[in-house]
Amino acid sequence: MRKFSAVLLCMLLLGTMLSACSGGTAPKKEAEGSGANNNSNTGNTSGSEDITKKKITIKIHYPTPDLKVMRAQEDDKIKRFQAEYPNVEIIKDDWQYKIEEIGVKMASNEAPTIFNTFATEANFLVEKGWVADITDLYNNWKYKDQMNPVLQDQFVINGKVYGLAYNGYVVSTVLNKKLLDAKSVAVPPVDWTWDDMLNTAKNAANPAKGVAGIAPMGKGNEAGWNWTNFLFEAGGEIEKNEGGKVTATFNSEAGIKALDFYKKLKYEANAIPKDWALGWADAVNTFQQGRTAMVMAGAADVIEPALNQGGMKPEDVLTYPMPAAEKGGKHTGILGGNYYVINPNATKDEQEMAFRYITFDYFSEKGLQALEANIQERKTNGKYYVPQLMDYFKADSDFGKKTQAIYDKYDNIYKYNPEITALLDGKPEAQFGTQDYYAEMSNVIQETFSKKDMDSKAQLDTAAKNVQEKVFDKLKAQ
Amino acid sequence: MEQPEVTATYQKLTKPDYTARSGRWRKHLWGYAFLVPAIVVFTLFLWMPIFKGIVNSFFHIDYVKGSSFVGLDNYKQVLNDPDTWKAVKNTLYYMFLCLIIGFWVPIAASIAISELRKFQGFVRISAYLPYVMPGVVLYGVWRWMYDPVGPLNAVLSKFGTESISFISDSAWSMISLVVMETWQQFGSAMLIYLAAVLSIPRDWYEAAEIDGAGVWNRIRYITLPSMKGLIILMLILQVIGTSQAYQSQMALLDGGPNKATLTYALHIVKYAFTSQDYGAASALGVLMFIVLGILGIIQFKLNKEEY
Repeated sequence: MRKFSAVLLCMLLLGTMLSACSGGTAPKKEAEGSGANNNSNTGNTSGSEDITKKKITIKIHYPTPDLKVMRAQEDDKIKRFQAEYPNVEIIKDDWQYKIEEIGVKMASNEAPTIFNTFATEANFLVEKGWVADITDLYNNWKYKDQMNPVLQDQFVINGKVYGLAYNGYVVSTVLNKKLLDAKSVAVPPVDWTWDDMLNTAKNAANPAKGVAGIAPMGKGNEAGWNWTNFLFEAGGEIEKNEGGKVTATFNSEAGIKALDFYKKLKYEANAIPKDWALGWADAVNTFQQGRTAMVMAGAADVIEPALNQGGMKPEDVLTYPMPAAEKGGKHTGILGGNYYVINPNATKDEQEMAFRYITFDYFSEKGLQALEANIQERKTNGKYYVPQLMDYFKADSDFGKKTQAIYDKYDNIYKYNPEITALLDGKPEAQFGTQDYYAEMSNVIQETFSKKDMDSKAQLDTAAKNVQEKVFDKLKAQ
Repeated sequence: MEQPEVTATYQKLTKPDYTARSGRWRKHLWGYAFLVPAIVVFTLFLWMPIFKGIVNSFFHIDYVKGSSFVGLDNYKQVLNDPDTWKAVKNTLYYMFLCLIIGFWVPIAASIAISELRKFQGFVRISAYLPYVMPGVVLYGVWRWMYDPVGPLNAVLSKFGTESISFISDSAWSMISLVVMETWQQFGSAMLIYLAAVLSIPRDWYEAAEIDGAGVWNRIRYITLPSMKGLIILMLILQVIGTSQAYQSQMALLDGGPNKATLTYALHIVKYAFTSQDYGAASALGVLMFIVLGILGIIQFKLNKEEY
């Protein structure tokens, strides 16, 4: 009996080993060369057969259950799409992109054919080969010239297109006017500087009551992301690429200046929260709870919960560009946005159909109707609609004007100060190793906030050395 | 004449007894059949991931372009990463804190509750309640407790002490996490200890009382020696459990401030899900597997000695 059990176990283990050894390679592709590194997509000429005659299944990005209006709109889009393409089966997938989940999704081949992502992820996803190259599909699309180039270019890498912009923003500072008024702090000029920010934060802070003047993010990669805005404003760069050799440059004089400004906020102005280990959500919640006068992020992402969950009034929430380092300087903020990308493991036909699905409502009357329905639904429920600072279309295009006309019809739309649009200076993120750089900087920010006598230059030099050795030296950039 | 006899005996000894074997097989057929689901589940969800983890640790994992064999590179990478050693140090510190802050609490609570003559059920439930609290609520509640203007700092200010940054001060952050976890989890361990305390024959205590033993002597000479086996078992389980901790460190502080709460398991998670370097994460996992395997063997030996 022991012999039999041993044989049975050995067979099972052998089977396990064989199956384990057989894994770990790329998932089987139905069509060769559909991956991110392949440029063989040929618009609507994916094969000799007509794509509208083939049986195709695509798994689409679908809103989460709490977004009932958006779900209804998506269902309507599916219905209309399938009326035009009856050969397409659509599977809904409400998975929302997360950096910590995408690897597992790709490994298990469970990522949808279409999934959402953010501007911060462009280089990372392309480096990993987790997004399909849709250059040919994009180039054959009739609306390509009407896309907002500022946003769309974020997913154009080395001349290849890997995603479609949906909306976007330039990182801004959002101010709680009510808190400023409560402490009789003057609202700073829109064309403001670091000194204005420092003074406003200092005067608005009330540490005894747990109210901060400003809440820079201090936990997770977002800590590095938040600080990078100041690096850019001071004229610094994260890295430079010379002939394929990438070098860390954020430990420059500009970097030291930006880090020293964080020190001023903490030690000179005593303006940041005593418990400064705040992630993105913590910082946004702190603003919503009225425990900080300022926070830095994509404006709509802060204002939407502040108005619709925090009960704040639009007139109490002011959107500012990031401050210039000095008078006359640029109000640079990181360019961010939301994008749709296509799974490289899908067949060429699936990729093409996915592209057609994404762009189905782009620049269409149906898209405008869906937007208006969303605004009306919110009005009925006493909620505000907060547009992103930028959309996939150019603001001055016909479609942009039609959209603006809809916004003008309703009083539950948050309106940005037109002055800030002229001042916003969006700057794309680093091309290589962005998340590793943010992670390293997160530690530097924490050192800054916990040690008054921290040597900014030494810290930045160490961080640059780490990023260089861990990431950049292993890269083969183009 | 003797030769055929020897051959016959040899043949008798070596010839398989097919009838007896198939009879035994038939007799145990259902036993094996019942084993199959367990073996399949263990294979799929335990042995296969372990084996695959070991295999992956020798590969650069790329799920789209295909993985490539890199030999011991992943091991060299993680062993040369200063954060690995920081994570080891932090994990040992965390395990130590859990022992000195958290280990004795359920033992003391179980003994105290066993001595109660009234409200024992109520106290038992009250102590257990935090254990059923969802993680999100727990972190929210303790974030408030540790807030610069929260209850703990309010108490400190009453005594004229300067407020403490329980979360952001790297000297306090790990301690704060251990206190929070002890509060939440001691109820579960307490119930196990309490079962052991209540199983001690009452007449031993009565005899001790007749001999003039006080409460302390009863605990020292009866309760604690009777619980010795369980305490050792719980100690080893706690050491194994705490060596794998990362949940609260990630949820509350993401390993910060200044990597002060970066535990070994969180370091693995960061390699896997932030850097997406599954090969290096697997190498870290294998190293941890070896250490925990040794601890497991020690636990097994101790159990064997005990019983």
